[in-house]
Amino acid sequence: MTARLLARANALRIRLGTTALRHASNITTAFSQIWANKGRSLLTTLGIIIAVTAIITVVAFVQGFGDYMSKMLRGYGTKQMIVRSWTPQDEDAFGMGRVTLDMDDVRAVAAECPHISRITPFIFTETDVSYGRAKATQIAVRGVSEDYQVIRNYYADAGRFFGPIDVENSENVCVLGRTMLKLLECDESVIGEHILIRDQRFRVVGILQTKGSFMGEDQDQTVMIPYSTALNLYTSQREDLRFLCEASDEKFINEAEGELTRVLRRRHKLEPGTQNDFQVQRQDQMLKQFDKIRMAVTALLAGIVSISLIVGGIGIMNVMFVSVTERTKEIGLRKSVGARRRDILAQFLTEAVVLSTTGGGIGIALGYAFTYVASLHPKMVDISVPMWSVALATGFSLGAGMLFGILPAFKASILHPIDALRHE
Amino acid sequence: MQTDNRKKLIELRNLRKIYRVGTELVHALRGVTLSIHENEFVAIMGPSGSGKSTLMNILGCLDVPTEGDYFLAGEDVAKLSQSGLARIRGRQIGFVFQNFELLPRMTALKNVQLPLMYSQLPKSKQRAIAALEMVGLADRAKHRPNQLSGGQRQRVAIARALAQQPAIILADEPTGNLDTKTGNEIMAVFDMLHGAGQTIIIVTHEPDIAMRCKRVVTLRDGLVSSDTVPSEGLESVESQRIAS
Repeated sequence: MTARLLARANALRIRLGTTALRHASNITTAFSQIWANKGRSLLTTLGIIIAVTAIITVVAFVQGFGDYMSKMLRGYGTKQMIVRSWTPQDEDAFGMGRVTLDMDDVRAVAAECPHISRITPFIFTETDVSYGRAKATQIAVRGVSEDYQVIRNYYADAGRFFGPIDVENSENVCVLGRTMLKLLECDESVIGEHILIRDQRFRVVGILQTKGSFMGEDQDQTVMIPYSTALNLYTSQREDLRFLCEASDEKFINEAEGELTRVLRRRHKLEPGTQNDFQVQRQDQMLKQFDKIRMAVTALLAGIVSISLIVGGIGIMNVMFVSVTERTKEIGLRKSVGARRRDILAQFLTEAVVLSTTGGGIGIALGYAFTYVASLHPKMVDISVPMWSVALATGFSLGAGMLFGILPAFKASILHPIDALRHE
Repeated sequence: MQTDNRKKLIELRNLRKIYRVGTELVHALRGVTLSIHENEFVAIMGPSGSGKSTLMNILGCLDVPTEGDYFLAGEDVAKLSQSGLARIRGRQIGFVFQNFELLPRMTALKNVQLPLMYSQLPKSKQRAIAALEMVGLADRAKHRPNQLSGGQRQRVAIARALAQQPAIILADEPTGNLDTKTGNEIMAVFDMLHGAGQTIIIVTHEPDIAMRCKRVVTLRDGLVSSDTVPSEGLESVESQRIAS
């Protein structure tokens, strides 16, 4: 009984061993075949190589820029809201009168919304700034409150940010971004000096920390002044104000939006059932929207890439048909020494898969190389190849080999041994 | 016909093979009845169109007869499936071809191992080396076919046929592509194998070769026309063929 069991176990071991040998032999045959037809194999796999290189590189870029964007958006904090006036587009708008959003609204929101902890009006203009003989044109000048530095993480690391008293008194004070020092040809000693903004004298009280650029926009090329001062300069914005507010915590963002909406609707005397005459833009929603766009872009690119993968697969099918015809005699011989149909099928399928995965491997390597080269650029965001895209590319090239290899392999397997042997 | 009390290895009964070529039916074999015993050394002769190739294909399980029985080592192979035929080809039959049919990108050893890979026999390397030793080419195991002479190539092919210790070796014009001297060397290998107990069938149209076998079966128009022992020499084989 034990002896029989042992014998059976041994037989199984031998069987597995020889099966492994056959698969190993299929793979070595495949490689020697590919090596023997180097040029042809390379041209054939070019389609797969290009497709896989595209997958790896594109995914790395989309991922890299996407991560950068989400990090940036997250950096702003997901508890922020931007409120601006907005005219509804349908018939509700008739009889609504002029749509306004002013400082009284801002004050009401600040006073009546327990879940809003910080609030700042936001006046954005572009104007000329000069210091002595140095002049910079089209500079982003922002009129904000002292809360802005906390909401948007703009802290002064030399001098100070302007405070609530400066705002209350509409003082002509300003803080400069680091790029402004370069543009105005000065250094930190400019603190305490006066610069001209739209031909008005402003005392520099602080310099902001470096923030870097975002989406090609230099965030340090900016000047900040109290919003009250800005509203004196740009009076037209008094009734069309934008403001930024921050909920006390991320989990109260919905409550904060509800409170804000109720306050503004009441103040604007909007009837129930009518639309808001203002728009609330939430950072967390922007993030969600951005993720959606990112998914869509990835899907679109994946679609384009899969077309090139199909083209590559057809190339492999073509060359496999040629290979089967060329090696008809070999197939005949293999059959005459005992190869079954499935053995021949496995051999040619292995060859197609080896061809396509070799192409995939080259493509992955090229993708890594391109990504690396791109990452060397000093202004490039952090990009790296995610493992899932490598897995995906491997899977795709494997699948393409299987799918497009099966037909030629089947053709080889059903050849009649005599006809195959006689083939010249 | 000699009487023989050795084990019957091959038994053909009223074997017929009909091909369809276009709209015409070709009767390649018209009822061949033949027995071959263990350790026989048989030559199958016949002019072209006599059906000897068809007979060889059926004997080698590359093809199945239209009608009739074929027992190989007691197994009815006339009705086997494709994979059943492949199994028999792998385990019971060793082919030797006129133009050797070695795979050019493989070493002699790998070529000899090929059938063992399909028949899933263990210790394929040792078996292959043993087979190469039998044909005296163990020192050429790592050579590729293009590094070997014609005679050496055919000996590798014989080693490949021997590797899985088949019931019969089926050689189709094994000396057809070789000069006389090398042909004689190959026949010497067959003699040696026959001496070691191997059953060998050689299909040939060369009387010289047939004469070196122990039995000559001649086909004509799809029928066995003579079945002799070439002890009286070539003349008798030839005369019998003409007489029939």
